[in-house]
Amino acid sequence: MSDTHRPVDAEPILQVTGLSKRFGNQRALDAVDLALHPGEVCALIGQNGSGKSTLIKVLAGYHTADPGAALRFRGRPAPLDDRSAPWRRHVRFIHQDLGLIPTMSVLDNLALAIGYRTTRAGRIRWRDERRRASSILAQFELGGLDLTRPVGSLGQVERTLIAVARALLDWEDTSGVLVLDEPTAALSRPEVTRLFAAIRPLTQRGVAVLFVSHRFEEAFAIADRVVVLRDGRVVADRPLAGLDEPGLLSLMIGGVPEAMYPAIASPGDDDAFTVRRLTGARVRELSLSVARGEIVGVAGLAGSGREDVPGLLFGDLRPERGEILVGDRRLERPSPPAAIKLGVALVPSDRVHRSILREHSIRENVTLPMLRPLWRRGRIDRRAERGEVAAWLERVRLSPPEPERAMGELSGGNQQKGVIARWLRTRPVVLLLDEPTQGVDVGSKSAIFRLIAGAASDGTAVLMCSSEAKDLAAICDHVIVLRHGAAVADLRGDVLTEERIVAAMVTDTPAGVSA
Amino acid sequence: MSVHEPPETVAGADPPRDQQGPGQQTAGGRSRWHVLSFSNISAVYIGVALVVLFSIWVPSTFLTSSTLTTLLSEQAITGIIAVALVLPFAAGAFDLSFAYNVGFGAILAASLIGNHGFPVLAAIVLVVVVCGAVGAANGLLATVIGINPVIATLAVGSCLSAGVNWVSGGNDVIGLSASYQAIANNHLLGIQLPVWYMLAIAIAVWYVLQHTPPGRHVYATGGNREAARLTGVRTGLVVFSSLAVVGLAAGFAGVLVSSQVGAGDPSVGPAYLLPALAGVFLGSTQLHPGRFNVWGTLISVYVLAIGVKGLQLAGAPFWLPDMFNGLALLIAVGISQRDHVVRTLGGLRKLRPPA
Repeated sequence: MSDTHRPVDAEPILQVTGLSKRFGNQRALDAVDLALHPGEVCALIGQNGSGKSTLIKVLAGYHTADPGAALRFRGRPAPLDDRSAPWRRHVRFIHQDLGLIPTMSVLDNLALAIGYRTTRAGRIRWRDERRRASSILAQFELGGLDLTRPVGSLGQVERTLIAVARALLDWEDTSGVLVLDEPTAALSRPEVTRLFAAIRPLTQRGVAVLFVSHRFEEAFAIADRVVVLRDGRVVADRPLAGLDEPGLLSLMIGGVPEAMYPAIASPGDDDAFTVRRLTGARVRELSLSVARGEIVGVAGLAGSGREDVPGLLFGDLRPERGEILVGDRRLERPSPPAAIKLGVALVPSDRVHRSILREHSIRENVTLPMLRPLWRRGRIDRRAERGEVAAWLERVRLSPPEPERAMGELSGGNQQKGVIARWLRTRPVVLLLDEPTQGVDVGSKSAIFRLIAGAASDGTAVLMCSSEAKDLAAICDHVIVLRHGAAVADLRGDVLTEERIVAAMVTDTPAGVSA
Repeated sequence: MSVHEPPETVAGADPPRDQQGPGQQTAGGRSRWHVLSFSNISAVYIGVALVVLFSIWVPSTFLTSSTLTTLLSEQAITGIIAVALVLPFAAGAFDLSFAYNVGFGAILAASLIGNHGFPVLAAIVLVVVVCGAVGAANGLLATVIGINPVIATLAVGSCLSAGVNWVSGGNDVIGLSASYQAIANNHLLGIQLPVWYMLAIAIAVWYVLQHTPPGRHVYATGGNREAARLTGVRTGLVVFSSLAVVGLAAGFAGVLVSSQVGAGDPSVGPAYLLPALAGVFLGSTQLHPGRFNVWGTLISVYVLAIGVKGLQLAGAPFWLPDMFNGLALLIAVGISQRDHVVRTLGGLRKLRPPA
């Protein structure tokens, strides 16, 4: 909780009332009221699918609001739907994808936002551009940054700060609005602190900040006020003082939260999946085995080789040596089709790029890996397909269970449930999961853990690779920790705790290797 | 967890909607007349409008049965090519060499029969195989070597163009036998044979794309190649095969061209480039908006042909049909951009502002 002055009685800079938005017969926003006051940081909290993104997109002019919404800017009525209305110049957005061009330099990325300054002959005044860029970057402790470096070669926090700096170029407003749409999704905790330190001075200037995030601790760290959206409605609009994390969670998901982690049944004895001295990509000499019904975790920092494990085990990355056995059958000539044939399934990380077909229906997404059972009388039996997929959507609690909807229209959590349904339908012997709860909201996260536990109790061998030590400690039977490509710890029983996993990930002395 | 559920119908779901593509929500209130709505088959309405326009403008020449039958048969060759092109486009690949391949097939067939005395059937098989091999070469360049298909097929097209002149020496090949000319000029039920060939090929491609697992794999590859690969689809094989099929179809179309004209004309190929491309792109905005599909493509090929034919009969200057096809391609791609189709074509990706 911050101690920034917050003139509640001051007139809001931006105030929307009665904002609704329908897509087809789905109501994304229902009579939302939102007011942003000078000098305050307002956190916008809600699960995926709660209407957060729609609200931001309406404010950004990307979606048109349904009739009945009203906007006042600095006390005066203003047109909400006019994309070139003057008030929009005072509202700046930083979207999650940042919108930078990775191959262009820092300087070009900054200058492109507002146009290059040129001489009369049309030559770019590079010296002026550099001075202007350095001065804005200095505000974010990036003064020494090499302006000619391509943005893609910088770290995530530098890129985020550059996007913020770009949004603020030429912005001398004392009473504008800065909207941060989940800018912290890819940042670690110290990086978030650095970003917040850069944002603070703006509020002292009188700017209102609307901060969208999944992470509660960040909301508590920076925001004065919180607006909670649920099913398109504002269910809370109050100061953060006096609210704790469980309280905020129950506001967000409605009612008392279910336990995040399911109870885990004890595994069987027979090994379903065995890896012997596997070496390839960044992984060296990895051996492990997963029994039917067992959930084994693989932990490791970025660059530890953990990211390559799912690809190697799924035949997508070529191993140099070592062997992979499913039951007693060896994975020869590794390739995804060969692995699938043996009963290996992979839920990849980076769902949007590596997992889903955005423009295809949920039905087509779910049945893609196994179409043969639907092949009847010389064609794919679409009626049977639709029925089977609808049943699977019920089972993984993907709601609404409409097989014909396009995958891209779903929230991240629902997309991931669809991907899990895709693979459970193939009755895999081994289910590989790579960061299975990446970018999904809290409610879906718990539902996904439940699905994973359910698959295990049905006898599937589960191998879950994750950077979230807490999740691994909670649902795995044991966790293998990788560092520099090699397994440095195998934690189980009493030593299987979040702290021990993190310790093994970051320190050089093994945190406790147990049999 | 038992895996195979009894097939059950979802309460409130629509009647079977085989004709509907992705991105269309199940909406209980939408009637089956949606199939006939303007947004679904705008090209048909445009075609009707064009027919009415030219019927009023040049009634004496446009509204004759011979205009109809020549239109039908002339466009059948374009139709064959366009329908085959649906495969690579749906798989997210691209082919610019097909028109040159048609020209190469045409001159090769004429030359084998007219200059080298090959039996008709042997010549046809040889031409289809050679042109199919060219398509397979496109496929290898695009998958094994990994050259962007736009560049690969453009380069192959240039080589084919050279091949045409090499085979023909730049001259027409004449003296084709009557039996050879019969392939494209005989009638069945009053309609020229190429129209029947086209329908047969269209039904085959439609069936594969719409009703079989390989068809799903084609669309999945075009939708998200990486995701399809990690779901077990052999995406390289899909792209390779689709380009090879275009080669086979181009060879057959080439045979029909020289048979229809009764001679081997070295300049004939490139004329098929634009009408077929425009048909495929405009087709992706019809019936299954956002998805390259067979029947939308055929409808579009004929609507564009009606426009060109009408302009010719109305005495438009000789350069106008090219202009018409060029503008039609731009408009079709413009519309399909709106429908997100071209996002799947890496080579033509449009940079969108961040939403």
